[in-house]
Amino acid sequence: MLIVVSAVLFALTRLTPLSPARIVLGADATAEQIQAFEHDRGLDRSLPAQYSAWVAQLPRSGFGQSYITGRSIDLELLESLPVTVELVVVTFLLTLAGAIPLGLIAALTEDRWPDHLIRMLSLMAVSVPGFWLALILVRVFAVKLGWVPPIGITPLAEGWHAHLASLVLPALSIALYYIGALSRLMRAAVIEVLGQDYVRTAHSLGLSRGLVARYVVKNALPPFVSVAGMSFGYMFGWAIIIELVFNIPGLSRALLTAITQRDYPMIQATVLVVTAMFIVSNLVADLIQRLINPRLRHA
Amino acid sequence: MASVSLNRRVFLQGGAVTIGGLGGSFAARAADERSLVVAIPSNPSTFDPINQGNHDAMVVNQLIFENLIEIDGEGRRRPMLAKAMPTISADRTEYVFELRDDVTFQNGQPFTAEDVKYSYDYMLDPTHKALRRSVWTNIESVDVLDRYKVRFKLKTPFRPFLDYMTKYMGIFPAGSREKYGNEVFQQKPEGLGTGPGIFVSARSNDVVEFRRNPNYWRKDSIAWDRLRVRIVSEEAARIAALLSKSVHIIGAPPVRDYVRLRQARAQGITGGSRPALGSLMLMIHNTRKPPFDDPNFRKAVSLATDRKTIAEKIFNGLVEPSAVPAPASAWWYNAKAAEGLAFNLDQAKAYLAKSRYASGAEFELLYSSQGYLLDVGDAALFIQASLARLGIKVKLQPLETGQLIEQVFAGNQASVLMAVIGPSDPTFIIQGIYTPNQVMTRSSGYSSERLNTLLADSFRVDDEPSLGPILADMQAILAEDSPSTWIGAIHSFNLWRTNVQGFEPNTGITLRLTDVAPTDAR
Repeated sequence: MLIVVSAVLFALTRLTPLSPARIVLGADATAEQIQAFEHDRGLDRSLPAQYSAWVAQLPRSGFGQSYITGRSIDLELLESLPVTVELVVVTFLLTLAGAIPLGLIAALTEDRWPDHLIRMLSLMAVSVPGFWLALILVRVFAVKLGWVPPIGITPLAEGWHAHLASLVLPALSIALYYIGALSRLMRAAVIEVLGQDYVRTAHSLGLSRGLVARYVVKNALPPFVSVAGMSFGYMFGWAIIIELVFNIPGLSRALLTAITQRDYPMIQATVLVVTAMFIVSNLVADLIQRLINPRLRHA
Repeated sequence: MASVSLNRRVFLQGGAVTIGGLGGSFAARAADERSLVVAIPSNPSTFDPINQGNHDAMVVNQLIFENLIEIDGEGRRRPMLAKAMPTISADRTEYVFELRDDVTFQNGQPFTAEDVKYSYDYMLDPTHKALRRSVWTNIESVDVLDRYKVRFKLKTPFRPFLDYMTKYMGIFPAGSREKYGNEVFQQKPEGLGTGPGIFVSARSNDVVEFRRNPNYWRKDSIAWDRLRVRIVSEEAARIAALLSKSVHIIGAPPVRDYVRLRQARAQGITGGSRPALGSLMLMIHNTRKPPFDDPNFRKAVSLATDRKTIAEKIFNGLVEPSAVPAPASAWWYNAKAAEGLAFNLDQAKAYLAKSRYASGAEFELLYSSQGYLLDVGDAALFIQASLARLGIKVKLQPLETGQLIEQVFAGNQASVLMAVIGPSDPTFIIQGIYTPNQVMTRSSGYSSERLNTLLADSFRVDDEPSLGPILADMQAILAEDSPSTWIGAIHSFNLWRTNVQGFEPNTGITLRLTDVAPTDAR
């Protein structure tokens, strides 16, 4: 999949009409200077030749250098990737912390006011655009109340408290959608399991409510884990918008800047890393599925 | 089925306490901050002063690297690393500068005439590909006369030379390129300039941090110990940062927020604006392409453009309407030429009737979809509606800035609406668009022998009585031929917290931060 993505991406970036040479060399660059720039970087070669040269250099010298800053792209990624990964991980944890209990509560109080309230809130959460929600959260919690900083991620060196505080709003801006979506999924899965014969049997045999609840949750988890795993991958995509709103110097900001500046090697590297994240998160979700669902191990 | 009892009050209180608790440390930390923090929209692609193209990102270069002269807040030239303004030869081709003898680079190296020669020679060498080298190619030589005296010899008289010197250059130590390498200039130029800020660190798309230069030659002009330039590309985020006291000053605020917040001192915010000299908003028509190949059509478009409404209603007074390439408040403004193109629909219809496109015309108007300083999208829409009243159909074509510039440089566009930012010289834009071999010449396809002669004449003088009539004649030619539709002069405008002293918008767009004192800093 990575090969397909990288090849398609490679072709797409080179379809843009503006040469990176114009951006790097500036407005007054002559045709000869632009030609020389493109020749130096192999941009005047055929697309397959450029692509194979790029693939060949990966194991030797990594992603190479940025056309614009001249910095090593590997270093750029080392700076921005952890920021995005941390944001997505915190978002994911917030999602789990919200979606699982809310889904459970809604299922256990089916058709009573807590269930109605949670369903209404989850419907709102999946309906509200993340960009708008982020702006509202900033307005209320950062501007009005001054509880958290409105932009950026406070470095850990300034204390974990401050660091965590700066992560709350961006993470929440993404997580609320997934809490809404996954709590509904959790609710449906739990309700389905609660209707199974073995649950009634367990109750009638006098098993403790805690033990029954464990069985219920365990059997309701497989569909939840599958979707949650995919959501983890999608969260990298969401981060593009949210990092912009909160001015977070993560992978997505680096990607947007690279797109604006036609920094081909940076665009390729960033998208490839995001794609890899998506693949890995799906793989991990599959493995967890197999762990909690013995039937899949033999499938 | 088990039932769960929820206590809503406890649930909500718990959430609030969690978020509030996390935020407590942030509020305390912000109060302890001892630095000046500013936010600009653009990520500097380099810290090298000879390659920085973006005007708001120039703030980082100008804190490190200085020039022989500078432009003050009012737009007047004044000495910087030079002791006084230069002595200029009678034929205006030789500029001799006496340099200050009390300046050292941040790395301790004394500043001398050798450094000036070295910096300019380096920049002029075509192999080094300096971004604005083309504006300097009129320099024949830079000669060291003694340790603190340097002479610039020009090939021909060129008045804008001094204005360009204030913006598109920076002096670095002799031998520094060989010693440190270009990568250091590009990424971490610690100790390489004479400026007030010593580079400390930078994170791409995030922040550039400076510490005060303790040996700065203007002893009492730095009122901060630390300065952080935050890169905040999203305009709503810049406003939020200012409102929440995370930054003291912001560059390029959105127009609507600027107007709303400027008066809101109760929120601890104020603002100000002043004309950005040399910066204009205009529609550059391609006179080689129909329908702009007909001067009557061009005049019809200009006369049908209600600049006053655009300036007041769309840009809230942050554009000073003008039908000629000069602000109405400037001493070189030709009111008569401007009057001839003032909004007049009847006259516009008459000119259209005289044109080859009397039965109707259609053209594509390009503009940037990414507002920088001023978002021209609404103005483009207004122009479309205005010209529809004449029967002229305008197809609006928003483009990403890079694509737009490429189209304009290649001269592919029929017309483009853009704000051009330049140095304070009044002929910068005229020269760039209408004279041969300039980067944007193809965008207009227009040339005029008379205009070129006047431009050359203007380069030989620098005093108002001599320059005024020449600039007035140039405006008259451009009004008569109307190769572009001028909308007006744009303003430089900023918002800042009321506890900031000594800050004012800079006529050159780039933030000036040397004399700025945040009163909450200790």
